[in-house]
This record gives sequence, structure tokens and C-alpha cells, in this order.
Amino acid sequence: MTELETSELDTALYHRPESLEDYPFHFCPGCGHGIVFRLIAEVVDELKIRERAVCVASIGCSVTSYHYFNFDGLESAHGRAPAVATAIKRCHPHLIPFTYQGDGDLASIGTAEIVHACARGENITTIFINNAIYGMTGGQMAPTTLVGMYSTSTPGGRKPSLAGYPIRVCEMLSSLDGPAYIARVSVHNPAAVRKAKQAIKLAFRTQLANLGMSLVEVLSPCPTNWRVEPVEALKWLVKHMLPQYPLGEYKLIEAVAALKKEVGRA
Amino acid sequence: MHEEIALGGSGGQGVLFVGRLLAEASLLEGYEVLYVPSYGAEKRGGNVWCNVTISDEKIGALFIARPTIAIAMNPASLAKFEPAMKPESLLVVNQSLIPSKISREDISVVYVSVSDLAAEVGDNSAGNLVVLGTLLANRPVVSMSSIIAVMDGMLSKNQERLEVNKRALNKGYAWVQKDYVHPPSGRK
Amino acid sequence: MSKKTLMAGNIAIAEGAILAGCQAYFGYPITPQNEILEHMSKRMPEEGRVFVQTESELAAINMVFGAAAAGCRAMTSTSSPGFSLEQEGISYMSGAELPGVIVNVMRGGPGLGNIGGAQGDYFQATKGGGHGDYRVINLAPASVQEMIDLTMLAFELADKYRNPVVVLPDGFLGQAMEPVVMREPVTELPSKPWAITGAVGRPKNIINSFEMDPVNYRPRVELLLRKFDEIRRNEVRYEGINLDDASLVIVAYGSASRSALTAMNMARQKGLLVGLLRPISLFPFPYQALSNLAQKVVDFLVAELSCGQLIEDVKLAVGLDKRVELVNQYGGVPLLAEEILDAIEKLIKQPAGR
Repeated sequence: MTELETSELDTALYHRPESLEDYPFHFCPGCGHGIVFRLIAEVVDELKIRERAVCVASIGCSVTSYHYFNFDGLESAHGRAPAVATAIKRCHPHLIPFTYQGDGDLASIGTAEIVHACARGENITTIFINNAIYGMTGGQMAPTTLVGMYSTSTPGGRKPSLAGYPIRVCEMLSSLDGPAYIARVSVHNPAAVRKAKQAIKLAFRTQLANLGMSLVEVLSPCPTNWRVEPVEALKWLVKHMLPQYPLGEYKLIEAVAALKKEVGRA
Repeated sequence: MHEEIALGGSGGQGVLFVGRLLAEASLLEGYEVLYVPSYGAEKRGGNVWCNVTISDEKIGALFIARPTIAIAMNPASLAKFEPAMKPESLLVVNQSLIPSKISREDISVVYVSVSDLAAEVGDNSAGNLVVLGTLLANRPVVSMSSIIAVMDGMLSKNQERLEVNKRALNKGYAWVQKDYVHPPSGRK
Repeated sequence: MSKKTLMAGNIAIAEGAILAGCQAYFGYPITPQNEILEHMSKRMPEEGRVFVQTESELAAINMVFGAAAAGCRAMTSTSSPGFSLEQEGISYMSGAELPGVIVNVMRGGPGLGNIGGAQGDYFQATKGGGHGDYRVINLAPASVQEMIDLTMLAFELADKYRNPVVVLPDGFLGQAMEPVVMREPVTELPSKPWAITGAVGRPKNIINSFEMDPVNYRPRVELLLRKFDEIRRNEVRYEGINLDDASLVIVAYGSASRSALTAMNMARQKGLLVGLLRPISLFPFPYQALSNLAQKVVDFLVAELSCGQLIEDVKLAVGLDKRVELVNQYGGVPLLAEEILDAIEKLIKQPAGR
């Protein structure tokens, strides 16, 4: 073996990010939360902002997010995370607060808060987990639940005449002038996960450069409440969610595009 | 008659279903009955308990501190129930999942090879009905026919499940423990 | 004898509402009352009635406001954090003289708290919670049968007084299953000529709680105050057990009263003269009944799942020269009969008098 090869073998290629606690996740088998938590932790490490990062947790399966991250964290009332994050950033501009919200928290009770954080162009980041259902409370309809989809509060399938249509958050918020970067990604396979990490990293870099509000919507599986096995859930996501919620960048101001060009890959 | 029955196990072991059967059967036989489930916060895999109170009189407290009968399907349940049991109460223990023996000498205990018996009836998930059968063989709080009548109603659309459950129930009923322990007074 | 069915508390509330002719249900998921929402999502469409899962409890209470204004029997259900959000709407409803039923299946608090049962919203529910001089009738079920019966009564009283009514069980009762007798459905609903139904062949109707003219400021509120006085006179409800010879009376409601019942029976078996007074209406509170009892009872023991909220009303009723002690749990933890019995024995051992 050459000397170079030996030293490469000494390099750790994969280890727990410093920003992720050695604390067992409580999520169901096949849930997407665990993946996204890891991506955030890797990004925070790579950007070297662990001591400035603040997780504003929300209400849902991710309610105890602050236990999993190795940086400051706090709870927020249902839907109010963007308001809480706004205050933290305004009072301590050097901190990097991000909200971590599910579809009930952001798109149901929290619509006013997210719209106004975006409208104000707050320098915060929102990671929005869209699994088209309410997880923590046992599988009721979410604003993102698809037409025809079963939930415990739409037992015959979601009927538009009674329960309306799903909300496309990225499309809706990108009509505002405040946001600097809005993207929708997914975690249904390794390639998608890599792209998700790139988007999350760009969102945090947007905040670091004080360019305005950044939001990444992540399509995520919920096998328990979709009532399918984990592998089936990933297929279901591809088949049913991708057409309804197309992946891509919905808002990308020039300055963020320039940031993107600066580094070739995450 | 006044029995305070505690049942505990992991999510998925069917503990709540057995609690429901006991409750419905008691109602059928004209008793006062109360059934209270409790869950941990996790959706999957956490511990699950329920208590069933069966009485001739109007029932008060929702929660029982000192069971007269308990079924422990997993180690956490045994740890919770053993110290709380009333003297001369009955504890039915799933020895397939719980390796330890109890230390109290003032309660009756029946150790049941739940997994083996469930496998014998051809369904590993029917362990809950096995222990119910064992319970009723040792303390007939309700009759087997009441339980079966309730199951006939609840599982009318699933004959296969119904048959397996009945076999499991009878298997448990016929279970005779090799080292059956009863309290010093000799009462079963 | 009527046939009995085993039913869970939360389901009983939903079925009680349907029996009472509830025409519209609006709610948002929150543990430990999701079963009410889910059951209504299935049953209300079956009955041809309105069901909406709302975006939040704020929206839910305002939909109740709207449906009530439209003359419909309307209801929402929630748990403690959602109940906090609904306070503004309840104040508006009372101010606008609108009937409606708000169910709060109480859980541990404050804040997000936990999903265990509790009785920590007593002050909020009975003393106001929202802004301004208003009161709402509060009914406290202590059994699954009462979950049906008091929900039905809530709709009746809401319409009778044109005021919101709160049904206040705790999370433990919501999950418990007991045998119930199903009641007959209400077939005749009161007419509401004041409601927003379209000004066809009648002068227009306006529903509001706002008063512009200073001349009307006081009279507007006095209208409500007279109503609350009438409620105090007519709608006190409570259950008394073993009060005739009791030297110690436990005061408790909801699931705490169930533990108290067992504790009382255990105490009586030991020869202790214990009775139980169970308020069923928390507003109007049975002050008079307690005050009368205080003429011969030596000790009062309040058992509640909070840090001491009901006890303040008991002290108010019986007077400051009476011994009123607290036995409690809080933070979503159940109160066991054994704990109440311990408190009874401790109290009886200590001679009264200061």
C-alpha cells in the first residue's frame, strides 16, 4: 500500500455529525424525519454554525426536535414557530434560527405566521415537512392531504366539496416579494436525499448572507398513517405526491443564485 | 363480586382487545363494568396498559392501585404489576417473553408459554387470547361462553381470526402449569 | 330495562351531541379528544349534518359563532391548549347572546403540558377565561353516561339562555368505557326568530356584541347580568352521597369524584363518617348547598386534579372558619382512591380548630 492510501484509510468518511446528539429517535420505522434531522445536522456542521444555530420546534411528531440537535432549541405554540424565530433573529441577528414544521403546524394553524414571516422577508429559515397527513394526533386530514386520500377525519377519502383541496405551500408563498429562496425537495431515494441536502444547505447560506426568508419543503413518507409498509410508502410518495407537489426551486433571487454558483456541490 | 384486573404489554400484543373482551363479557353477564386504556406517547411499540373493573356495585375509581388479577405480557408490565398486586391475587405471566420469576409469596402466579401455545394454534399473534383462557381457567370472572359470544359479535366479519382466537382461548384454558405456585394458604 | 352498550367517553359526547340535534360540528385535532372529531367526521355526514375540520381552534370557535348566529345547534370540542384559543370566541358569543356548546377534554398543563388527564382549566372555564363580564354554564360529567346526558343538557341550556355552555370532562373520562343507555333523540328544536336566516318577510336581524352608543353601554351588560342571575337561581346541579351523618365531606368533580367515591366507601368500611358532594354544574356553583352543609360538617376535603382551583370556590362557600384541605394530583397524573383515603384519615386524626 502506498502512504497516500493508508492516510485515506485513516480518514473517517462517515460519522455522527457534532450537531446531532447521540439520542435515539422516537420516530416510526420508515419515517422521513430522521433523514431530514441528519441532513440539517450535517449542514450546520459543514457551515460551522453549531454554536449559533437555534431550532424552533413546532407541534407534531417533531415536537421534541430540540432533544436531537446539539445546539440551542425551544418549543413554540402550534403554528407560531415563524413568529418565535422572527423574534429571536431580530433580537440576536448573529443567531441562526430555523423552524422545523409539519403540515398541520405550517399549513393549517400557522398560515398567518408563515405568510407574514415571508412577507416581511425575515432572515430565518423554515424546514417544512410535508407528509400529507397529521402524524402525532393519529392520522387526521392535513391541508396537504390529497383528494381521495383516506384519513381518520375523511374516512371516505377527501372530498373537495366537503373538505376542499390540498395547499401547495411553495407555490403560494413564492408569490410574495419577501422570500429569497423557496424550494421543494424529497427524501424518497438517495439521489433525492442528496438534492434535499443541497437545498437545505443553500437555505442556511441564504440566512447567513442576510438575503431574506428561506424555506425548504420536504416531501416525506409516513408509513404508519398512510397505512402501508415503509418501502411501499416511498413508492406511494413517488406515485401520488410528486405529481401534486412538483419538486424544484420556486423562488430564487439573483443573490441566492449567485451563492449557488459559488460552490459546485454540497 | 368485585375484581380489579390490570393488563399490560407492548403495543401490538393485543392487550387492549382482551381488556375489551372482558369488559363486554361482563356487561353481557349483567355486571357493572369499567374499562380504561392507557397509552404511551409513541404511536408504535410503546407500553400499553388497561384496567377492567367488574363489580356488582356501582364502580368508583377509574384507576386501580392494587389489582386482584393481572396479565403481564412483557417485562415492563411484570415490573409494574408485581409490587402492586393485592395479597391472594392472581398474576398470569407470559413466560415466553418474561424470563424472570416473581418473588412475592402471597400471590398466585401462572406462567404461560404464550408463544409456544400461540404457535400451536397456528398464529403467533393470538397470544393475548391464550392468556385470557388461562386467566379464566384459574379465576372464572366471566364464563368462556360469554367471551365467545362477544367475540362472535366483534369478529363476525373475520371468521378466520375468530376461529384462531377461539382455539387460542381454549388452548390457554387447558394450560396446566408444571410448577403452579399458589399462596401458602393453599387457596388457588 | 333499556339495553346497555359499552361506550368510550369521547364517543359518548359525540353521540350525545347528535341525539341533541347538533346540526354543525367544527373541530381541530388535539389529543386526548381526537376520537370526538373522527367520530363526528363519519357520523355527521351520515346524518346529513355539517362537519368541518378547521385550520385551528380559532377558526373552529368562530365557525360555531357563525352557525349559532344562523340559528343552528353548533358545537366544537378541544383540549386545554385549544380551549385557550377559543376564549376570545366564547366572550364574543356570550356578548352576542349566541348559544353553543364547547367541549374541553382537559389535559395536563400549563403550556403544551402533556396528554394525561387533568382539571387545571377550572379557573379558565368557570371564571371567564375570555375578556369582559360574562359567565358560561359549565357542566362536569363524571361517567360515560353523563358524557351523553350532560352534552344533551348543554345544548338545551345553551338555547334556553342564549349563551355558550362548556362541557368539562378530563382526559381520563374521555378514554374510559362504561355501559350506557342511549337516550331518545331530541326531535323538537326551539325556534330562533332572532337568527340570521335571510330577511324574508321579516325585518332584518343583526347579531353583534359591539355597542357604539354610550347610552347603551350599561344596559347592554345588564341584560347579560340578569341572565346570569337567572342561571344561578335555576341551574345549580350537584350530587350528594352520605351527607346526612357526615362529619367530613369530600368535594370533587369529574374523574376525581370517582376516586373520591371509592375512598368514601373504603372510609365508611372503617367506620369513618364521610360523605361526598359532587358538583355537576361548576357554574353555577352549588355555594348554597355547601354553605348549608357547613352548618354541621366539621371538615371539607377537596379532591382535584389541579394545584387548587375548585378549593377556592369551596372555601368561599363554607366560610373561613371551616377547615378545608386539599388532596390533589396535577400535571396529567391520576389521583388514586388510596391517596384520598390517606388524606381523610390524616384529617380525621388531627383535631379540628386552629
